[in-house]
Amino acid sequence: MKRLLGAVLSTALIGTPGAFAAEKTLTIGYSDALTGGGAVYGVPQKKAIDLAIEEINGAGGIKVGADNYKIKTIEYDDKADSTEATNVARKLIDRDDVKFILGYCCSASGGAMASFIGREDVIVLVGTAGARSITSLGNKNVFRTRPPGDYTGAAAGKFIAQQGVKTLGILAVRDVALFTQYRDSLVKAFEEAGGKVVAIETFGGQDRDMTAQLTKLRGLNPDALFVSGYVEQVAFSHRQASELGIKTQRYGFSGGSAEQFTKVATAEQMNGAWDLLAIEFNADVLGPKAVAFVDRYKKKYNENPTPNTAYAYDQVYVLRDALQAAQTTTDMKKIQETIRALPIPKEALLKYLPVNGRMFDDKGQAYIANGAFQWKNGNWAFVKELPSDAAAYSNFLKTIKD
Amino acid sequence: MLIDFIQQIFNGLVVGSIYTLIALGLTTIFGIFGIAHFAHGSVAMFGGYLTYFLISALGIGLLPSFILAMAAGALLGIVLERVAYYPVRNAPPINSFIIALGLTLIIEKLNLLAFGVDQVIIPTPLVNVINVGGVTMPELRIYVLAIAAILVIGMTLLIQRTWIGMAVRAVAQNRAAAVLMGINVNSVSMFVFALSSALGVAAGVLVGALFAVAPGVSSGLVIKGFAVLILGGLGSIPGAIVGGMLLGVSEAFAAAFVSSAYKDVISFLLMILVLLVRPEGLMRRSSR
Repeated sequence: MKRLLGAVLSTALIGTPGAFAAEKTLTIGYSDALTGGGAVYGVPQKKAIDLAIEEINGAGGIKVGADNYKIKTIEYDDKADSTEATNVARKLIDRDDVKFILGYCCSASGGAMASFIGREDVIVLVGTAGARSITSLGNKNVFRTRPPGDYTGAAAGKFIAQQGVKTLGILAVRDVALFTQYRDSLVKAFEEAGGKVVAIETFGGQDRDMTAQLTKLRGLNPDALFVSGYVEQVAFSHRQASELGIKTQRYGFSGGSAEQFTKVATAEQMNGAWDLLAIEFNADVLGPKAVAFVDRYKKKYNENPTPNTAYAYDQVYVLRDALQAAQTTTDMKKIQETIRALPIPKEALLKYLPVNGRMFDDKGQAYIANGAFQWKNGNWAFVKELPSDAAAYSNFLKTIKD
Repeated sequence: MLIDFIQQIFNGLVVGSIYTLIALGLTTIFGIFGIAHFAHGSVAMFGGYLTYFLISALGIGLLPSFILAMAAGALLGIVLERVAYYPVRNAPPINSFIIALGLTLIIEKLNLLAFGVDQVIIPTPLVNVINVGGVTMPELRIYVLAIAAILVIGMTLLIQRTWIGMAVRAVAQNRAAAVLMGINVNSVSMFVFALSSALGVAAGVLVGALFAVAPGVSSGLVIKGFAVLILGGLGSIPGAIVGGMLLGVSEAFAAAFVSSAYKDVISFLLMILVLLVRPEGLMRRSSR
């Protein structure tokens, strides 16, 4: 009797998974800066990913064959540091055995991952990290939504020349790949359009006093100034330029919010300054889908989404669409090919410029439109979209490996 | 051209005055104990953070906060001397050297724990700019120069004209003889640490108002402070004043007339040049 009961029970138990086969869990890894200097980008990015996952799981999960996958994450703090990011990637691949990794807010962590990930059997969907090498290295398994700095720099150089600027003085951070690549392509595009760069002055990562460089630029009297670097340093440059009585048009690239700028410079000192950057998440520019996202994000976190949140949010939907289209969660080669041929997911927030009708180009890079924002009445106001040639840049990206 | 030249001198003097304040503290401590007090930059940052905290969280005015922070700095200096350096005063110099390195890390991390990772800018109402024939002088920078000048003059008077100042000079010249003359070396050393740390805090507040207080700023400050010491002469107060101004102005000139990429390189070349030609420093007599 006992034996019979055992047999019945075990049959029932064995039978159980079959009965609920539709419910499965897909574990994905997550590596980002949750503490330290990069956390201003990393934490909001993580929140956006969690929100997208919640939405996908709430809508029934990812349907692959007869199975329904609910997404679960294993997350680690990479501190936007190259060594930490390498350790995190190894942990996720070797110990946690994940096949998909999301995150990467920053060039140092993303660049370190890209340097070896090509040899691993995983797929990485990068968000905000800007260093060109993350996609230019040509790893088949890396896809990124944020376009590299030099893509935007070229559009910015053309735009400045179109504004009637003939001579340009440049003040830029000297040792951050994102900004130097942007600056170099800006100079090239500006000079091709007939402009002349009178001087390129630089500052280091910890500098906050740019008066010596600005005094020199003031003496050269160019039609306009261009300033690029992290938000704080660009804000100090605007403040000190204004204090030095520099009245020329000031362009820049930093991507900071109005609150970040007014911590350093007054609204009057910022007046008329331009920020020329890829149109990241911006509810005013991107329409009703973006407005709805702001509502959901605010409801969940009680704060506004930052401009970089959409890069990683969109990647979660890329993953869902790719798995549903490939109808597998294990055949990595097939999934890679599917992502490469993927159209833009309908939930994606950013305005992507498809290359040959696909979201990602051959090197796994996506492109969004670039825009010109100008400081008016204490805030950044969107002025216009910059002509951006995604196809031409994609062809250029094919030719380089750094 | 002339206007730019004068502008660069002004730019350099403002930054140089902050270097001087940092260097004064370092040089007095070095002159008396022979200690390279690396934690001085972190003490300065502590003062900047504290001032910001007093203003933003407690609503105390800028000037009272500044003075309170300097008082807190003086107290911190006494604690550092008693807890960290006093116990190893008779040990080999390597002990205090290692303690100085350890203190730097400890104070830096305590700053992080207490005040967070964000950069902090001390708010001031000074936003006007004075224009003299094309040379622009922001009000805030003029105040920075003036405050630094008052502190430097005050410190010089204190050392040169008062009894305690005489005691400090005596200990610096010959410790054993000073003890024999009945000078209490213990109180002199506490006084020196209090004074130096208060000056360091003042520098931190000026940096915080003019630029920002943030993790990583302290190491830059202390490196510049030691560069000034080498330029002016280790342990020399006039050397710290001249060296600080010289370093500030040469950095501005380097950026203006050579290349901003080599700004720091050129100031360090200057330092190497002084070491080669006049190793005792610009303002010290070589006889000693």
